[in-house]
Amino acid sequence: MTQPVIRARSGRSQLRILGVGITYLALVLAAAFALLPLLWGLSTSLKAPADVLSSPPRWIPDPVDFENYARGLFSAKFLRYMANSFLVVIGSLVVSVGFAVHAAYAVSRFKFAARETLLFLIWSTIMIPGVSIIVPLYLLTVDLGIYDTLFVVVLAYSAWLVPTLIWLLRGFIETVPYELEESALVDGCSRLKAFYVIVLPLLRPGLAAASVLVFVTIWNDFLLAFSLTLRDENRLLQVGLYSFVTELGIEWGPLMAATIGSTIPVVIAFALLQRQFIQGLTGGAVKG
Amino acid sequence: MPPDHIVRSRYRSASIVRHVQPYLFFYPSFLLVAVVSFLPMFYAVRQSLHAASYLEIGPFVGLANYVELLTHGGGLWNIQTSIIFVLGSLALTMPLGIGLALLLNQPIRFRTVFRTILIVPWIVSQLVTGLLWMWLYDGRVGPLAHALRQLGLNVSGPLTDVNWAMPSLILANTWHSYPLVMVFTLAALQTIPSEIGEAARIDAASAWHRFWHVTLPLIKSTVLVALVLTTLHTFNTVTTVLIMTGGGPVGATEVLALRVFKEGFQFYRMEVASTAAVVIFVLNIVFSLAYIRVLRAERA
Repeated sequence: MTQPVIRARSGRSQLRILGVGITYLALVLAAAFALLPLLWGLSTSLKAPADVLSSPPRWIPDPVDFENYARGLFSAKFLRYMANSFLVVIGSLVVSVGFAVHAAYAVSRFKFAARETLLFLIWSTIMIPGVSIIVPLYLLTVDLGIYDTLFVVVLAYSAWLVPTLIWLLRGFIETVPYELEESALVDGCSRLKAFYVIVLPLLRPGLAAASVLVFVTIWNDFLLAFSLTLRDENRLLQVGLYSFVTELGIEWGPLMAATIGSTIPVVIAFALLQRQFIQGLTGGAVKG
Repeated sequence: MPPDHIVRSRYRSASIVRHVQPYLFFYPSFLLVAVVSFLPMFYAVRQSLHAASYLEIGPFVGLANYVELLTHGGGLWNIQTSIIFVLGSLALTMPLGIGLALLLNQPIRFRTVFRTILIVPWIVSQLVTGLLWMWLYDGRVGPLAHALRQLGLNVSGPLTDVNWAMPSLILANTWHSYPLVMVFTLAALQTIPSEIGEAARIDAASAWHRFWHVTLPLIKSTVLVALVLTTLHTFNTVTTVLIMTGGGPVGATEVLALRVFKEGFQFYRMEVASTAAVVIFVLNIVFSLAYIRVLRAERA
């Protein structure tokens, strides 16, 4: 009597093992799809210049050669582009996170005239796609005589990021219990002090997610940086990569060294700070 | 005790501070956004209603720029190309993202490793996405062309082929876009109490049945959000297309967003660029409103 039941159960467990096998197979294939372009680029970047265009394609560079890195990633020009990107990231961090954290605090703790309307107006700009304002922004900066400066690039990225950052940071501020500030205020602490001394330190996880969003957005953006700068000395990283393609005729070895070399730091940072990345990126996913 | 007028003035200054503080906190953000987002949008609308010569704004022409763009100007072709790009990307991105999220939601080993690897394409820039795939597609030395050659197919480079350029672009864009869908879906799946799945399993519902009738309804609104974000993101993409095909061959991949870029920064026809930019903005609003309506209908 018990025989058929056991058989059915073992049939089901075989099915389950098969299911698990298929799951792993699918995940391995997907991981290969995710890594393939990066690994091919990495392989190319590590080849000797003469091997870059060898056919049939070889995945393992032999010998491993770093000349592409010397000519691509570590060329004086490209180091300058990366330094510019880094500078703009720092400047934008100060401006955008600085502005946004105050605004987010005002929105969740103060009552003031037209608060909801103004907030709606700020958030509605999230719906303006970058491609719709690059051309007028270019014309505007030319009119104002501030075209082709890193200053204007910092301002533009900050404005681009502020609405999302307010959204992100407001969520964190609202998890801080108001009683903390209230008791400080009763003790004669000023509002300003209550914000800087009590609330701000508690926002560290939010500020980390915000910083990651600012960093990844600016490090990876081509469009705005291209639209607002012209001279070689003002180019940001992605515009620099683009100019490698358009100006010199493509040299794939050095280009892949620059491409992979400027991407890997972000990948490593992501692997170490996954939670902050996902918080920041899902917040920033809204802006096209 | 301090004299009365001092108390009052101290009180007054404190109340002024209290009144001004919200504005000091809030207005820097507002002004910045107004100058960098609203003002240019206003510029774009104004320019789209005027003629232009190089960077100078010309006389008022009403809707003539829009009529021109959508009739002789090739705007409809750009919109059609954009729609193909978006629909093609959605058709690959959504099932891939949702499917991988379902796989990652199971209790398996190395889940974190798989998840980490699968998210990586998301944090790679659009330009780098374009460059990596161009190199992978390369007709002379790329591994894809080599594999196809061994199968007896001679491909000289899919990006320069009228029929293959768009599918190749869609595949590259899918690579960059599926992690967003995966991350959103996975987050939604993790909010489903495990008892619900257990109950369905005990009822001996098939896996497909379980997904379609139990899981999907619970994650529908998140999936919709991911769908809209992917739609907007793809529709507004300039960089990947610019680097990979530049709109070619013979306009086969000239999406509307790329048109804006080229008119503005290659041909310096500011009135055409501004008009197309406003059209893109309006279509963005339409997509978003449609999705808000769907979400509302869902909740009601």
